[in-house]
Amino acid sequence: MRRVFDSQLIGPFAAMLIVALFVAFTTERFLSPGNLSNLSLQVSIVALIAIGSTIVIFAAGIDLSSGSMVALLTMILAQLLKFVGIPLFAALPLILLMGGFLGLVLGIISAYGRIPSFITTLAALIAFRGLALTFNNGSPIFSLDPLLEPVFYGKFLGIPLPFFYLVFLYSFAAFLMNFTKLGREIYAVGGNPAAAILTGINVRKVQALTFAIAGFMTAVGAILMSARLNSGSPNYGQTLELQAIAAAVVGGASLAGGRGNILATLMGAMTIVIVSNGLNLNAVPSSVQNIVLGIIILLAVGIDMWRAEISSLLSRRFKKKDPDISTKTQSSEKNDSEN
Amino acid sequence: MPAQNVPIWEFVSVTKSYPGVVANDQINIRLFEGSIHGLLGENGCGKSTLIKMLSGVQQPDSGKILHKGQEAKISDPLDARTKGIATVFQEFSIVPSLSVGENIFLGNMPTSKFGSIDWKKIHDGGKKVLESIGVDISTEAIAGELSVGEQQLVEIAKAVAINAKMIILDEPTAALGEQEIERLHQLLRRMRDKGIAILYVSHRLDEVERIVDEVTILRGGKVVRASGETEIDVQEIVFAMVGSNLGEHYPKEKNFTDNVIFEAQNLKTSKGIENVSFYVKEGEVFGLGGVLGSGRTEIAHALFGVDKLLDGKITLNGKVVNIQNERDAILGGLALIPENRKFDGLFFNFRASGNITAASLDSLSRFGILDLKREKLTTERLISQLEISTQAEEKTVNFLSGGNQQKIVIARWLFSNAQVLIMDEPTQGIDIGAKIAVYRLINNLTRQGKAIILISSDHDELLAMSDRIAIVRQGSVSNIVQASKLTHDDLVRASTEVVHKNELEKFI
Repeated sequence: MRRVFDSQLIGPFAAMLIVALFVAFTTERFLSPGNLSNLSLQVSIVALIAIGSTIVIFAAGIDLSSGSMVALLTMILAQLLKFVGIPLFAALPLILLMGGFLGLVLGIISAYGRIPSFITTLAALIAFRGLALTFNNGSPIFSLDPLLEPVFYGKFLGIPLPFFYLVFLYSFAAFLMNFTKLGREIYAVGGNPAAAILTGINVRKVQALTFAIAGFMTAVGAILMSARLNSGSPNYGQTLELQAIAAAVVGGASLAGGRGNILATLMGAMTIVIVSNGLNLNAVPSSVQNIVLGIIILLAVGIDMWRAEISSLLSRRFKKKDPDISTKTQSSEKNDSEN
Repeated sequence: MPAQNVPIWEFVSVTKSYPGVVANDQINIRLFEGSIHGLLGENGCGKSTLIKMLSGVQQPDSGKILHKGQEAKISDPLDARTKGIATVFQEFSIVPSLSVGENIFLGNMPTSKFGSIDWKKIHDGGKKVLESIGVDISTEAIAGELSVGEQQLVEIAKAVAINAKMIILDEPTAALGEQEIERLHQLLRRMRDKGIAILYVSHRLDEVERIVDEVTILRGGKVVRASGETEIDVQEIVFAMVGSNLGEHYPKEKNFTDNVIFEAQNLKTSKGIENVSFYVKEGEVFGLGGVLGSGRTEIAHALFGVDKLLDGKITLNGKVVNIQNERDAILGGLALIPENRKFDGLFFNFRASGNITAASLDSLSRFGILDLKREKLTTERLISQLEISTQAEEKTVNFLSGGNQQKIVIARWLFSNAQVLIMDEPTQGIDIGAKIAVYRLINNLTRQGKAIILISSDHDELLAMSDRIAIVRQGSVSNIVQASKLTHDDLVRASTEVVHKNELEKFI
């Protein structure tokens, strides 16, 4: 399908490839099976949460709540398993539902209450962290369930399970965005909300639903986070929302809404994780890693913004002059009237 | 009049080309002080390029620019300004959050010794400028709260404040109502009499007759007609611009039957619509005339569920429909082609297909899954049927011309199978070739029995394309007449004059 694997994937894919090749050539241990499997574990949580962040961005919203929501949901999961005594197989779907519900509530407040999503989810970012601290006197809860760890560390055919979660949920998201009515409506709402209203799309409902999807994906991330350390903690997920948004942006999603490819977000997340993995393997301190991450985000958006200048710079080497935009439209209109 | 023999600015065989197009081919134009010079032509004829060279945005490839007979170079927009050239572009450069006074002096704010803004000078100076051109707007008013017409007057005041000797106006009346146009024209005449040279760019022919002293017409980057005469003949201008005459310009077909398919009774909304009643027959084009702000667009909004009805009912095919929102309207078989296709019509992030199917996603999907194959086939069919550029499916629609964009918006409602199409200014800002294509499309629709409610500020278009016309004034429909019984003058008078006791007498 042209739509799923379109040209918007080329840039993020190339960026990921360049980064991976660079790290592979400069760092011996990068390609070792142990490191690669570790890499897929590292990327899984941020990449799964980024699915939701990206879909919200497609509808021209922003979700800052996911990091705190992860902390809250791990604490609720710990509470359910350890103190309420609900079995694991029942607790996990409950957490997924709860994530979707919390997201939906935020979406409804933002869309129907007409409070910009930036503010709604900023408030949630602060409040969810506080809410997480009200459990167990604000202390982490450990040793939740012996069956929880395999959810993260388990393997199937020798491949870590999170790899399958990524494949499954990204396929689902790509299907949603490219083949369903809701996906099309999300792009339409992000592209031009005024036009969406006039074509009969229920803009508020669509906006609210994107936050429900984001909440669900955040719950998946929270479960993996809990499973990874077999615990719940009010301190989990700090800045995770920003990493997820960074993955979307490095993947080329436009913060103005309506443009981007969900699969590119996976590339974006992998680029970020490969860079930090490479820096880790070379024992670069985390302070420097953060600086590098900041620069990557700027470059990713910058290259997108300066695309016109870069291509005109390149084409100037071959041609003498470059037409400006207005004359391009003029000449196309000329062609038009000749038709 | 000041000395006419030496033009203040003159282009001598100026050529400017871009890869693939010669935008201006050996252009000669002479602009005199104290004269309003019309620059006409279809979209893409090279008008914008000429303006850009005169305002310093672009440089000619060859040819000479003369300033009062001396060879000169306009190296950039700032240079143009210091040489006394001011340009009022279609999209204003007004800062909406600032006061009128601040806007007038934007870019050369008077400052005190310490570098802070000298407010007294801004308001006194601004007042003086506004008085000198006879404009009664307070310098303290916030620019964004003014009407479009008033904002334009502020733009002109800006030009006066920098002491411009040459003012370029690019499509100055595109967004103005009849009265505002008249006000602008009066101002321009006063400025002309003070010896200022004015270059007036427009593709509304009816006003050219009224305001312009001389005219230059471009077609395909060349001057096809330059006249120094004061007699300007519209028929002749159209012929020069498109190489065809007015008859072909409006290919009207009469397709209406006696079958009433749409009826509005006593509509009332909170946006000032009151007592609006009319019906539309199958295959009929029903025109809504009136000045800007008379309530035409608001009537469209009332019909389409954008504004809630406080009173009245809408009947479609003999059944009363309850329209609470846009979705109800669409399901009922209505369509709205909005006035501003850029802001309200198009999805610039989609190609043609996404735009065409946006209003019919329900019928295009089963269990929430889109039938992409049908979408592709339908888009291909509509692209060829409406003669939309073949580029439309290769790139997102922001790369298309205005005419192609408008066709795509119309195609959306062909696909949704709407029965009654409300078209609000469907030909605004598109060139004559594309306009004719839209008229043919209207014929095509009425031939299929669809009804069209046409809103247009272009009187000629409204008269030629409508079967019946209603004049909208202050939110209500005052009169419904056969289009053939109206003349251009009737329409202008009826829509601008204040409500009269003796309606009929005045109207027919």
